[in-house]
Amino acid sequence: MMQRLLPLTTLAVLFIALSLASPYFLTYTNLASVVRQTAVINVMALGMTLIIIAGGIDLSVGAVMAFSGLLGTMALEAGWSIPASIALALVCGCGWGLANGLLITQLRINPFIVTLGTLGIARGITLIISNGLPVHRIPKEFAFIGEGNLLGVPFVLWILVVCAALTHVILEHTRMGRYVFAIGSNPEAAWYTGIPVAFHTTAVYAYGGVLCGLAGMIEASRLMTGQPTAGQGYELQVIAAVVIGGGSLRGGEGSVPGTLVGAFIMGLLANGSDLLGISPYLQQAIIGAVIILAVAVDELRKRRLT
Amino acid sequence: MLLELRGIRKRFGGIQALRDGNLAVEAGEVHALVGENGAGKSTMARIIAGMVSPDGGRLLWQGSPVRFERPSDAAAQGIAMVHQESLLAPHLSVAENIFLGREPRRPFGWVERRRLCEAAARLIEEHRFPLRPEWRVERLNPAGRQMVEICRALQHGSSLLIFDEPTSALSEAETQEVFRIVRQLRERGMAVLYITHRLEELRAIGDRITVLRDGDTVYSGRVAEVSTEEIIRHMVGREITAIYQRTPQAPGEELLRVEGLTRRPVLDSISFSVRAGEIVGLAGLVGAGRTELLRTLFGLDAADSGRVWLAGREVRIRHPRDALRVGLALIPEDRHRSGLAIRLPLAWNLTLASLPQVSRFGFLLAERERRLCEEFIRRLRIRAASLWQPAGQLSGGTQQKVVIAKWLLARARVFLFDEPTRGIDVGAKAEVFHLMDELAREGAAVLMVSSELPEIVQVADRILVMRQGRITAELPRGAAQEEIMRYATLDTQQAATGRADAQQEKNPA
Repeated sequence: MMQRLLPLTTLAVLFIALSLASPYFLTYTNLASVVRQTAVINVMALGMTLIIIAGGIDLSVGAVMAFSGLLGTMALEAGWSIPASIALALVCGCGWGLANGLLITQLRINPFIVTLGTLGIARGITLIISNGLPVHRIPKEFAFIGEGNLLGVPFVLWILVVCAALTHVILEHTRMGRYVFAIGSNPEAAWYTGIPVAFHTTAVYAYGGVLCGLAGMIEASRLMTGQPTAGQGYELQVIAAVVIGGGSLRGGEGSVPGTLVGAFIMGLLANGSDLLGISPYLQQAIIGAVIILAVAVDELRKRRLT
Repeated sequence: MLLELRGIRKRFGGIQALRDGNLAVEAGEVHALVGENGAGKSTMARIIAGMVSPDGGRLLWQGSPVRFERPSDAAAQGIAMVHQESLLAPHLSVAENIFLGREPRRPFGWVERRRLCEAAARLIEEHRFPLRPEWRVERLNPAGRQMVEICRALQHGSSLLIFDEPTSALSEAETQEVFRIVRQLRERGMAVLYITHRLEELRAIGDRITVLRDGDTVYSGRVAEVSTEEIIRHMVGREITAIYQRTPQAPGEELLRVEGLTRRPVLDSISFSVRAGEIVGLAGLVGAGRTELLRTLFGLDAADSGRVWLAGREVRIRHPRDALRVGLALIPEDRHRSGLAIRLPLAWNLTLASLPQVSRFGFLLAERERRLCEEFIRRLRIRAASLWQPAGQLSGGTQQKVVIAKWLLARARVFLFDEPTRGIDVGAKAEVFHLMDELAREGAAVLMVSSELPEIVQVADRILVMRQGRITAELPRGAAQEEIMRYATLDTQQAATGRADAQQEKNPA
C-alpha cells in the first residue's frame, strides 16, 4: 500500500507547497502549461512502464521520438493529411520498437546495449534525412494537438488519458499484461511455464515505440517544427518518471498510475523551479536527487519487509 | 597423524550437515572420502579448508588443536583445496590465475608479468603439466583448469591437498591424468583427501577410506581390506523410517514413452515408459544425467536423437510451450530460480500456465480466475493468508504445491519431478508425496528424480537407475537400497562405458 501512496503523497505535498509559495502556480494557464510540458514525457513513460516491468529498458525513446516526429512533419510538408502523417509517425515508432525487441530476443543482446545502439542509429538517420535542418512548413491546424483545448482542457490531456487507460487495461486486465509481469519477475520461470517470452518482450518494445511515435507528433505540434535534435536526454526523464512511480529496474514491478504520478512530480519540480526563479541548472540537480531519493526510500521499505 | 577431525558438527539452517564427523589423514596417503549425495562430504572438506567453521568438535593439525576462521588460515598451515566447480577467473592467463591474490607486492600495485610467468612455468614444469603460463584459462578444458587449480594449491608448499570430486566432469583419459598427478603428489610425501562417489576409482588410487552417512562417520579403514559391497552397505545402511505409505494400483495406458533419447555427452540412448497411475523413480548420483533427462524431455535442452510419445502420439518437444501443449509438466529442483515468480501474488503464479482458460479475447476474467484459484487452493490444501500474498512468502512445501498446482490447472497429465522434497521439512514432504499419489490415482504418470533413496524405494512403483548418462537398471517396487546404489556407482558394463568415453573425447563439452 505504502508503495502506491508514497509517490502520490509526494505529489500532493509538492502541489500544496507550490500553491502556497507562488501566487501564479494555482492558475489555469500555469496548470495547463504543466500538462502540456509533461505530456510528451508522460506518453513515452507509459510505454517505458511496460518495458521496465518486463525487466527491460529502452534508451532509444528520445531518438525514436525525434525520428518519428521528423518523418511525420515531412509528410505534412509533402501534403499528407494530418491523420495520415500521424499514422506514419506511429508506424515509424513501431518499427524502431520492433527492431529493439527483435535484437534483444533473437540475438540475446542486453537491452541496455541494444537500445544504446538504436539511440545512436535513429538519431544519426534523423540528422541525415533532415540534413540537420528542422521542418517548418506545417499546416496551422496541426498546432491543435499540442496547444489546442477540447471541452476546456488541453487536448494533450485527452490523448494522455486515453493512452494511460489503454496501457493500464493492457497491464492489469489482459493475458499479455500478466505475462509481462511474469517475464520481468522471473524470466526463467516464465520460460519454464511455457510463456512465449520472446513474442511478448518484442510486443512490449513495439508498443513503447508506437507511443514514442505519438510523442514525436505531440512535440512537433507544440514546437510547430519537426526538429531532428528533439528529445535529447528525454530517455532519462522517461525512465525517472517510471522509477519515481514505483517501477523497479529489476523488473516485475510498476504501474500506470505510479508512472503518471512520477511524471507529474518531475513536471511540478520543473514548473515550481521556474516560478520560484531557481536556475535551470539547479533544476537538473534537484531532479537527479529526487530520483535517487525515490529509489532509496523504496529499497529501504522493501528491506524492512523482508 | 597429519590431520584429525573428532566429533565435528555443522548445521546449515534446518539441515544437520555433519553430526559426528571423524577423520584421520596421514602424511603420504591418498585418503578417499565417500558417501551418498548430502552425506556431508563437501561440508567436511570445506571445514578442513577453512571455508566454513564447525559448530562443535575438534580439529587437530599435526597433533595440536587448530581453528580455521577463513581459507587463508588453512592455507597458512599448508592445506589447499581443488574445487569441484572451478573458481578461476576465465579471462586471465594461467600464470595470473595461479598467483591470483598472492602477486608479489610492488609499489602502486604494479604486477611484474614476466616474473609471474617464470614462477608459473617452474611450477608447471615440476609437475609436467601440458600447460603454458600465458594461455587464457577460458580456452582450457576441464582437466586443464583442474591443473591450474592444482598449481594454485601447490604454489606455496601445501602438505594436504583436498580434491572435491575431481573427475566428475572429466573424460576417461583426463581422469587417468588426474590419477597420475595424485600418485605423484603422494610420492612426494603429501597427503591427499580425495572426495568421490565413483567407487571403482577408490581401488585405483585410494589407500584408506572413510565413509560418511547422514553426517556421521560410519566407517574408516584400509581400502584393501574392505569389499565394495561393504562400502555400499555403509553408505546406505540407514534404518528406513516410514516416509510415505502408498498403495500401488494397476497401471493404465502408457502415457510417456521414450526411445533412444540421446544428448551427447550427458544422455546416451535412454529408453523407458511410464503408464497412467504409475510413479517411476529415477535414481542415480549427482552427474548421472537425471536432471538432464528431465530437461531434454521438457524441451529445455535439445536432443541429438531419440523419439518421444505422449499418450500414444509421437511428439516433438523443442520448447516448454510444446510441453505445455501436450500436457507434460516439469516441477524443477530450484523453485525460486525456475519454478515461481516469487514477487508476484500466489494467484498469478497459480494461473500462469493456464491463462487461456481464464480469459476471453486476451482479456482476463477476474472472477473466473479467482474461483479457479480458490478451488485448487482447497483441493491441494495450500496454506496462504490470501490469494494476493507474494509467492515468496509461502513456506517451502507450500511453494512446491503451488508449482504443482500451476501444472494441474494447465491440465498436464505427465509430471516430471526434479528433487521434489529438497529443502522442505518432513511434514511438507509427506504432503508432497500425498499429492503425487493423488495425481497418480487420478490417472497421471509421474517420473520422479530423487537423491533420497528411501524416498524412491517407498514411493516409486518402479525404479530406473542412471549412471553416466545411461539407464543401468530397472528395478521393481521396494528394491533394496544397496542394489540401487550398486547400479548407480559401479561399472556394470565396462565395454559400454568405454564407448561413452570415446564419444566424450570426440565431442569435448
